[in-house]
Amino acid sequence: MHPKDRRPKKIVAVVWLLFSIGFLTGTASIAMGAFGDDLEKPNPEFSTQGDRVVAKLIPRGKSTSTSIDFIVTGGRLTGVEGVDLDEATHGAADPKDFRSALFAVKIDGVSPGGEVEVSLSSRYFTGATELWAFNRREEPHLTNSQAQNLDRPERVQALVLAVKDGGPFDSDDAADGKILLIAGPRDSFWGYALGTLFIRFFGIFIVLGLLQAGMLLTGAIFQRLQKQTGRPKPAPGRTPASKKAKETPVAIEAEAAAAIGVALQLHLTEVRASAAMSLDRSDGSSWARQGRSQIMRDRLLTHDRAGRK
Amino acid sequence: MTWEYISELILSILYTQTGVPNLDVKQVMMLLIALLFIYLAVGKKFEPLLLLPIGFGIFLVNFPLVPLMGYTEQGAPELIRAFYKYGVEWEIIPCVIFLGLGAMTDFGPLIANPKTLIIGGGAQLGVFITYIGVLFFGFTLKEAASVGIIGGADGPTTIYLTAKLAPHLLGANALAAYSYMAMVPLIQPPIMKLLTTKKQRLIKMRQLRQVSAREKLFFPLIASALIILLVPAVAPLMGMFMFGNFMRESLVVKRLSDTAQNALMNIVTIFLGLSVGATMQAEAFLSWKPLLIFGFGLLDFIVCTAGGILTVHIMNRFLKEKINPLIGSAGVSAVPMSARVSHNMGIKEDPNNWLLMHAMGPNLAGVIGSAAAAGMFIAMFQ
Repeated sequence: MHPKDRRPKKIVAVVWLLFSIGFLTGTASIAMGAFGDDLEKPNPEFSTQGDRVVAKLIPRGKSTSTSIDFIVTGGRLTGVEGVDLDEATHGAADPKDFRSALFAVKIDGVSPGGEVEVSLSSRYFTGATELWAFNRREEPHLTNSQAQNLDRPERVQALVLAVKDGGPFDSDDAADGKILLIAGPRDSFWGYALGTLFIRFFGIFIVLGLLQAGMLLTGAIFQRLQKQTGRPKPAPGRTPASKKAKETPVAIEAEAAAAIGVALQLHLTEVRASAAMSLDRSDGSSWARQGRSQIMRDRLLTHDRAGRK
Repeated sequence: MTWEYISELILSILYTQTGVPNLDVKQVMMLLIALLFIYLAVGKKFEPLLLLPIGFGIFLVNFPLVPLMGYTEQGAPELIRAFYKYGVEWEIIPCVIFLGLGAMTDFGPLIANPKTLIIGGGAQLGVFITYIGVLFFGFTLKEAASVGIIGGADGPTTIYLTAKLAPHLLGANALAAYSYMAMVPLIQPPIMKLLTTKKQRLIKMRQLRQVSAREKLFFPLIASALIILLVPAVAPLMGMFMFGNFMRESLVVKRLSDTAQNALMNIVTIFLGLSVGATMQAEAFLSWKPLLIFGFGLLDFIVCTAGGILTVHIMNRFLKEKINPLIGSAGVSAVPMSARVSHNMGIKEDPNNWLLMHAMGPNLAGVIGSAAAAGMFIAMFQ
């Protein structure tokens, strides 16, 4: 084998090697757990609006900010703070599932041992969003609170949870008229990733399919118009080749000129190439191929982005 | 003035005002990487328009103490940081490049055979497979989307999406995209052969109908209206692309069209290449992620190529006039290289089988398809 023939194989081999290294290092990185800095950590900012606290944050996997409203009935909401999931659970929970991390909801004015209703509502919750509660004294520390997921007007979902003073969701663990609820909304990361992916992949087909339908329709209209008004006028002087032809005579071999002539004749007399090809093999001769190559090269100039001067 | 004072002064100047004592191993490695890409661009002519400025950008910013990618004490961006901030971070340059690409593009082959649009959709398969693949390797959703789009084989789209979703991966993603685009003639043929039979490769397609100038003029209006209505997030890219094409097809603003195709395109390419290269500073680039991105980028290209070919096989089940599956691989954009690969493969099987213009259809559909995929991803994170 000529050494030049071996070169592409070598390049492919190098690329495969790179891929293998990437694969192995990736596997190793999974084994090692974390992979680089956590760039998507939500940093909520809180504001009080009347009897509600509003958290404004950019959840994981989002580029735009969203808000979560906290409302308490049966007690007084004194404040809400953000809680880092990794710090609270020591890495036991996957932060990707908890896209807005955890919140510490502080409530007082509760009758000792009494119950309050805590509501978290946001547009970014879905019908499948769950509210998970964290309590260091309970096992496991982080559990599904089985909060109700309710539809509210304007595409808002509300997670509503009844919390008993001194109960399993009260992290201060005492029936003292105060409640500390540490909880956060949870969405299945893989469910979201795969679900939205499936929709979006087929979305591309829908977009392109509709565009195709639009093009077929307009194409049919234009063809009908052309039939009524005669042959289409080709766009004048568009390709660099035609420009050149007008300006300066191009030196060309007789065979190539003949091939171009035949190709143009076939085209202009509407004898389609496919039909012509089935007639005989004469157009398989070298001069005809050269002519077609020349035509193709000229047509490709229009599309050749890199080769432009 | 003593000798001690003078030597201390010299040492101080050496450490604070010259690069030599501050040069570390990582920077030397990056300089070697820069030289590799410059070699690929100059010596091998691999996508030189982009790889050369990218390579030189890497080369410049990996010298110690260079005032290129930081901010001055007054908070003003330094030279290449300014190109990056106002060009890439503000998402201007990729859109201007799309304007130029639109002005360069002749949609004739696509308009003549709109069926090929679906092939452009099928060839986005790798984008989504890679997206899932990198998620398994610990990438975030946004990072995964930006890596996935590499398979769309469209440099400006990759840069646009990455700058929007995962700017820290910009250098690696852009390099992977342009490197593999240059390697299309090496990557695609084995997959094309594997997924087609000789009989299928010999399929001859009917010559495309002639498209009138008026039809070409209406295309950018119809296409942009439909696409932007369905995926508004893609309006900056698709709007500029179709505007460029409309200027071209209108034939009344030749000067503007020529500027968009040539001068403007060349100017922004210089700033884009330098800016992207300059993001690859040693401390940010030398990690496992870029290696993984290169690995998955290749997988992405392979699956996208296969996706296009398989889409043709599926379409052929329903079509009376069969499509040559070799043109399926052109559904990854990489205009016009992948179309040329399809054509060359066809010619090898039968010297009279001219697939070039047939392959341009899916090729152009790939540009629209990858931009649509990018729009889908952007919308997903809104």
